[in-house]
Amino acid sequence: MAGSNSETPRVRTLELDVPGWQGHVAGQHLDVRLTAEDGYQAERSYSIASAPEEPLAVTVERLEDGEVSPYLVDEAREGDSFEVRGPIGGYFVWEPDDPDPVLLVAGGSGVVPLMSMARHRAREGSSAPMRLLFSSRTLEDVIYREELEALAGNGFEVVHTLTRAQPPGWSGYSHRIDDELLREVAWPAADEPKVFVCGSTRFVDAAADGLVRLGYDPRSIRTERFGATG
Amino acid sequence: MEMRDLVLDGNAIGGLLHELFGTELTAAPCVCAGCGAREEMARLDVYVHAPGVVVRCRHCESVMIRIVRGPTRTWIDLAGTRGLELG
Repeated sequence: MAGSNSETPRVRTLELDVPGWQGHVAGQHLDVRLTAEDGYQAERSYSIASAPEEPLAVTVERLEDGEVSPYLVDEAREGDSFEVRGPIGGYFVWEPDDPDPVLLVAGGSGVVPLMSMARHRAREGSSAPMRLLFSSRTLEDVIYREELEALAGNGFEVVHTLTRAQPPGWSGYSHRIDDELLREVAWPAADEPKVFVCGSTRFVDAAADGLVRLGYDPRSIRTERFGATG
Repeated sequence: MEMRDLVLDGNAIGGLLHELFGTELTAAPCVCAGCGAREEMARLDVYVHAPGVVVRCRHCESVMIRIVRGPTRTWIDLAGTRGLELG
């Protein structure tokens, strides 16, 4: 572990220095394996947050009663070592030479692999239109809030919805993603955008089903479900 | 937590599959022996909370793959998968 940054009270980014790491594609993840002194092993997957051009970093949300995430979020220190396996995945990935519009739909920490895509797009100077619809519980829970604001522009848009509480004067959306919200935010299906949806199982299924009702081809919607145990 | 929250997808076992088969498989199309549906591994339903890993067809819910890891060996049951295409 080469460094860290606290994103929200429950979410931390860990920069990793992995000997022999061969680079990754935006959207991929890696597996972290912790081994206790008695030999017990716990393994979980974490999405890579960094763009391929940047130092390798994962962003981890602490899940209560988790076996791996509490260590990574609260205890791991610079210089600590643990096993990683990766990069993993060839389906939930985006390449910046693809000119098609891209719709990213994130629930909570589901934003992490999508952030790698947004960062990669900015680094590469891609002109593919990209729009992120990001559902968080409160403003304080919005991961990468300031960086997303800075990235906006040049064809990259961010639309927030805060589902649990909104600050005074909040002008964004304030409810869970439903068909009406998708209709307002998503590109028309006729534009044939590439779609990446990431979040909890329930979030992913709701967003994907809503997009299909809007006329999206199910095969154009790439999804990744996050586990409820960490 | 409801049962539905425990259903993951083939992305979740990408690392395991790579270790067992030596290649990236989440983008590999798989054909269900039950209904004939052809979907990439990442689009299949995956249950990792059983003693092993169970992969089910997203259309007919047939079991397509079972993987159980023991201390010294791994059992893989592919009876529910008619075909697997590698790129």
